[in-house]
Amino acid sequence: MADRAEFIKDIRSRLQNHRSRGEYRPTHAPDVPWTPSAERRRESPVSGDLPARFLGELEALGGHGRRVASIEEARDYVLSLARERGAELLVRWDEEELEELGVDAPVREAGTEVSVWRDLPDFREVAGSAEIGLTTADWAVAETGSLVVTSGPGHGRSVTLLPPTHVAVVRVEKMLPTVAEAIALYAKNGGLPANVCFHTGPSRSGDIEQALAIGVHGPGDVHVVLVG
Amino acid sequence: METGKPARSRDTLDRRHEGIESKVEGFNDRARRALEDEFLHESVARFTKKSVASRQAALERLPEAPELRETAYRIKQETMANLDRYLEQLAGAVEERGGKVFFASDGEEVVNYVGELARRRGSKVVTKSKSMATEEIELNRRLEESYGELGLEIIETDLGEWIAQLAGDHPSHIVAPIVHMNRHQIADVLSGVAGEALPPNVEDLLQFARKRLREKFLAADIGITGVNFGVAETGTICTVTNEGNGRLVSSVPPVHVAVMGIEKVIPKLEDLSVFTRILGRSSTGQDLSVYTNLVTGPRQEGELDGPEEFHLILMDNGRSDLLGTEFEEALYCIRCGACLNVCPVYRQTGGHAYGSTYSGPIGAVITPLLKGNEEAKDLPHASSLCGACTEACPVGIPLHELLLKLRNRQVDEGLAGKGQSVAFKGFENTMKSPALYKISGKVGRMAQKPLVKDGKIGRKLPGPLAGWTGTRDLPALAKKPFRELWREGI
Repeated sequence: MADRAEFIKDIRSRLQNHRSRGEYRPTHAPDVPWTPSAERRRESPVSGDLPARFLGELEALGGHGRRVASIEEARDYVLSLARERGAELLVRWDEEELEELGVDAPVREAGTEVSVWRDLPDFREVAGSAEIGLTTADWAVAETGSLVVTSGPGHGRSVTLLPPTHVAVVRVEKMLPTVAEAIALYAKNGGLPANVCFHTGPSRSGDIEQALAIGVHGPGDVHVVLVG
Repeated sequence: METGKPARSRDTLDRRHEGIESKVEGFNDRARRALEDEFLHESVARFTKKSVASRQAALERLPEAPELRETAYRIKQETMANLDRYLEQLAGAVEERGGKVFFASDGEEVVNYVGELARRRGSKVVTKSKSMATEEIELNRRLEESYGELGLEIIETDLGEWIAQLAGDHPSHIVAPIVHMNRHQIADVLSGVAGEALPPNVEDLLQFARKRLREKFLAADIGITGVNFGVAETGTICTVTNEGNGRLVSSVPPVHVAVMGIEKVIPKLEDLSVFTRILGRSSTGQDLSVYTNLVTGPRQEGELDGPEEFHLILMDNGRSDLLGTEFEEALYCIRCGACLNVCPVYRQTGGHAYGSTYSGPIGAVITPLLKGNEEAKDLPHASSLCGACTEACPVGIPLHELLLKLRNRQVDEGLAGKGQSVAFKGFENTMKSPALYKISGKVGRMAQKPLVKDGKIGRKLPGPLAGWTGTRDLPALAKKPFRELWREGI
């Protein structure tokens, strides 16, 4: 086993040796222009109608998004999705906002079982067999159409991953212009949850003859309902 | 691939095959074979052309791209200059969050750490998401060999990597591992696994792969991922995938092992937004890869999923040799693949011709640096030095300059071949003496006569000069030298 102190000391001495012998050659900054065209249009930073930008980006990636005015409309969206997919099991985060959404009873009435992410004997069994995963999100990023989902009690990572359909209900106040701003917020608050993931559209692969394939491992059917 | 320190002894060198045309490592032979493979050629051309166009379009949507590149370069420069400090900080932060950290000098230590971990846990199924670092040390093969008694089943889960693994093949592109295979070959490979003939159409093959790999994701005892960026400040590792396999491998199994080259550390969380903005765009033209996954330690109190154990392996394997040297910038690479896509050599030969984990211009640079100059002697010459790689690099690595420096080093170390050294010495003397220069022109014009056709020397030059014309035509010397034309008033 490599000794940590030795390992670090070795790296330090390499850096110092080169410098003290004057061998350390400070590298030079790139001097070749990087961008393809110098006359490219200066775009304005992401601003204006963030929800519209978000929904546009998400659609372009092959996801589905809708902005609704009320919680009731969001509930109807999830309900009709469960019906359309003929889902037998929907798994959802244990999260106050989703309690308020009140989908459990109507979805069950429509014939879809609902599992809540708490006290599950085997989370793999539940998330692995559910057709729909329902979550919220920390943030929705307009620039890229990304959802930012985080781990925590009640927030199963698998819920966003294993079911072939992922639907997130997100309040419109959770919109952020850019990925950088989302990262800056986590940096400012100091300390990240054990897991933060930017989901940018449905799972995709181009590995077989460069044909675009959707839903390879993660969900191929991604829905975001913006409320407000 | 052996991972020990490069052998420095020159005595072991096979001197029968020295010089530019060296066949010791066989780039030229492999490249020639690649050029004859029509599908490979067409597929690589199509992929690289598409990638270059997507990248260009993505960068045009990013007005601050030049500033980001400059910033990325500066961040890497600062990181390398203080790498000892940032590695300590990263390790400390991971441990503070309940993760375990292991420093590995070489591949052997990584293999043993993972093997012993699997033994302790009584693990059987290991899922992996795409990781160049573990490819570099051939983790899968060596685990199976050194820890055969554990009966580990190690499964690559990136679709392309999985198919390559099943075919007993190696990835040929950092981003598109099986760009060299067609759907019929893929159907053959997967039919072998299915135990029935699968039709060679993309949708059926995908459905089969998804179903089969899903079982593995759920059954895995250990998940192994690579690391795109390790944030020293917060102890966070960032792994990006498009399929979601990286996120699955790090979320579902009870143990997550992340294997990271020591050069992948970045100082601050905010630095991450610089790199995520250029990685996807340079790689596939995506504004952001589909799953940009940030893991900070194991699952926390009250969580039902996520790994109970999180291990970060910080691997050197020859990297620290480059610190503070003129080759340090090779460590700035973020493995986006942009330099492969623009390279006129890669576009002709594909990745396997390089005979190394890393192909294309960055492979031609880091393979000799990590494995030893003798081991990969051909690779610095697998370039036209056109500089397209340098221009494409999102962190501003002067790749073609590094290739030139590597060639230089071969001459210094006597690896370039005696003939070449003598020839260049002669050239130097001739250029220094007006009389010799004049005579050399006359001799050259006479000597070339039997070789010239259509103003070119297209035939192979004899003897030691054959290396110059084996793969290219030389323009013939003009009938009258410029000096005579000048005297005659042109």
